[in-house]
Amino acid sequence: MAETMRHSSIRKVAKLMIKEYMVIIGIILLSIVFSLSSPYFLTWDNWKNILLQSSTVAIVALGQAIILLTGNFDLSLGRNLCLASCVGALLMKGQGIATVAWNPWLAAIIMICLAAFVGLCNGLLTAYVGLPAFIATLGTQYICYGVAKLITSATPIPKLPDAIGFLGRGFLLSIPVSVIIMLGLYAFAQFFSIKTRMGRNLYAVGGSKEAAFFTGINVKKYTLFAFVIAGTLAGIGGLVLMSRLNSVSLSNGQNYEFDAVIGSIIGGISLAGGKGKLIGTMLGVIFLITLFNGMSQIGIDPFIQDVLKGFVLVIAITIDVLSNKKRT
Amino acid sequence: MNNDYILEIKEISKSFPGVKALDAVTFNVERGTIHALVGENGAGKSTLIKVLSGIYHAESGDIAIDGKACRFSVPSDARAAGISVVHQEIKLAEPLSVAENMFLGNVIVKHGLVDWKTMRAKAQEIINELGIDIDVNQAVSTLTIAKKQIVEIMHAINHDSKILIMDEPSATLTDHELKILFSIVKKLRDKGITIIYISHRLEEVFELSSATTVLRDGCHVATLPTSSLTKEKLISLMVGRELGQEYPKEIIPIGETILEVHNLVRKKILNDISFDVKKGEVFGISGLVGAGRTELIRTILGIDHYDSGEVILKGKKVYYKNFHEAINDGFGLIPEDRKLQGLIQVMDVKKNICLANMGKVLLNGIINRSLEKKYAEEYVKKLSIATPSINSEVQYLSGGNQQKVVIAKWLMRESEILILDEPTRGIDVGAKTEIYRLINQLVKSGKTVIIISSEMPEIIGMCDRIMIMHEGRKTGELMRNDVTQERIMAACV
Repeated sequence: MAETMRHSSIRKVAKLMIKEYMVIIGIILLSIVFSLSSPYFLTWDNWKNILLQSSTVAIVALGQAIILLTGNFDLSLGRNLCLASCVGALLMKGQGIATVAWNPWLAAIIMICLAAFVGLCNGLLTAYVGLPAFIATLGTQYICYGVAKLITSATPIPKLPDAIGFLGRGFLLSIPVSVIIMLGLYAFAQFFSIKTRMGRNLYAVGGSKEAAFFTGINVKKYTLFAFVIAGTLAGIGGLVLMSRLNSVSLSNGQNYEFDAVIGSIIGGISLAGGKGKLIGTMLGVIFLITLFNGMSQIGIDPFIQDVLKGFVLVIAITIDVLSNKKRT
Repeated sequence: MNNDYILEIKEISKSFPGVKALDAVTFNVERGTIHALVGENGAGKSTLIKVLSGIYHAESGDIAIDGKACRFSVPSDARAAGISVVHQEIKLAEPLSVAENMFLGNVIVKHGLVDWKTMRAKAQEIINELGIDIDVNQAVSTLTIAKKQIVEIMHAINHDSKILIMDEPSATLTDHELKILFSIVKKLRDKGITIIYISHRLEEVFELSSATTVLRDGCHVATLPTSSLTKEKLISLMVGRELGQEYPKEIIPIGETILEVHNLVRKKILNDISFDVKKGEVFGISGLVGAGRTELIRTILGIDHYDSGEVILKGKKVYYKNFHEAINDGFGLIPEDRKLQGLIQVMDVKKNICLANMGKVLLNGIINRSLEKKYAEEYVKKLSIATPSINSEVQYLSGGNQQKVVIAKWLMRESEILILDEPTRGIDVGAKTEIYRLINQLVKSGKTVIIISSEMPEIIGMCDRIMIMHEGRKTGELMRNDVTQERIMAACV
């Protein structure tokens, strides 16, 4: 009797671990498969690439994941990033809306604040006015894009100040700075979400808005909070991205909100809200980037990538829905 | 097979996990009559209606319509057999017109196209017959609730109904609208339609019906000619049961007044309510569903707002702008809907228990695992919560155990005044008694408890004082020694 009980508890633990770390296993499996076909795949150079590419998406994905945790969704993150970057770049170079070149750090702060403000608008519309998040952020998405187009006259802005260059292109102890920023943000966010009362309340709001309300949690405040954080992260991501590309164009951040959702779901965040670990999102994004990196290396047509992204998304959501079947 | 009976119900039984909702119910309904169906909340009326309209399948028993045995797999089977139901909640297509709603699901077609002209004409015919003032082209959304209900009735009878079941049709009507409803119901009867009329308003039973069936605890108690009944006899048939259950009430010294409510008014919902609660009391609020009890509590707790009146806590006037303020002042609420409002279903037991008082498990602002574990295990033990572990998600627990987790949450919060809204609804007898014991422990430790309940034995067994509400008003207050089920029921209706 004791034997069977121990076996069943081992099985339970194994099941738990597999679910939580499925992403890591996935990345390892992918690596094995790709390394067999491409000698270049397992080089540090390649992995540096993967991580660099992942970092900007992952930073934005963190914001999306937090919003997903509260049971909402933000369609405007990509264009928000774009608008903020455009404003930042124009300020830094003294072009367009700016008359003189601003201090690049001041410009950076302003652009992040602008992105946070967009998040604030999204949050107010969703939490206090009561619009469905989908609609509110859809509107904001278009507004951001439109304004970005206006202020840049749809012209890319190249060659940004060297001062901010190290964010996207610099290294600290051979690790890209952008990756360090990503890791730092995720470490803090993961800790905060699991270990603080506010983090617990975020999960509660996503788990059940009604029950959270009847426990005395201010649901509107937390909903707003999530959107503001996501906006801020979009601004930070925009800064890192523009530094890495050393330019800003209307395509900066395009579709990031969707890549963010896909990464979050692969990483275990439930679309229904209230479930999943934030750190999983980072791994989910890395998984996605690894997948596409590997595909390019073994010579798969890049145009198939969107098709593939769709497949991966559907599979991930199906797993999510099926494993949450019991929810009312 | 009697030709006088349009409906014969024989030994119909229906169970749900843990509850026998209908137990070999048998009675007959005479053709062309208005037949009343009465019983307390939980007596089985709704279940019986759902069986008759094909929504539920009876696990045993037979139904015969016009002498022919019937088996309903889906609601449309019942519809085809001639049974129509007008539900309590209005289910009309609001933007569509009266005529369109009347023919919803039953559109008249000519040469493959919808024949609006004929439908409008027929609709007008029915309206004229019943002598009502409604424009067939009017959008339903512009009608009053009373008129919407009439449209519902007309939609129901439009399907060549032999039997029309009306579920609490008068709940939301004014006296004047009631008169119109009654005349319609009588006219339908005169046309040969049999009506099964469910109502808590006993005056209506006496005004309209020629026969009355009483259900109690899922069983058929009596079917009698209405003329042979009096209100008192009817009430005693509805409630007459032995208090076989144990209500471990202990008499504890009651202290000073802790909560006073003066003249609370909320337009159309609460009508000048005043009462007080003393420290250490178990104060019950009784009444039928829709009496306004939950609304009253929500108003006091700042979840909803009120138009006028006062709430006084421990001698000081209070006004809560939101629920959070009320909680901070010492209130706790175990909501009516434990699944959706009481617990976060996807969170585990320990997280749910600690959620209302996270401060206790924080160490330097950080959640401390072992403190969480300690409290969770303490309450699981104290309340005998059956769960595989404190890390199991709450959604896998049974109803009774889920309710215990909700109670544990508020015990941990140490609320001074704990309000329980239908705390033992849908819970088995064993768990119920445990919850009653908890209530005792609460008042013994100096807390005050307010219970909203539709279950009379529970409220009589556990409370020191009971306030009864009806349609937003306080209709009575009884002390423990004065209370009988009949007295409560009389004030409920």
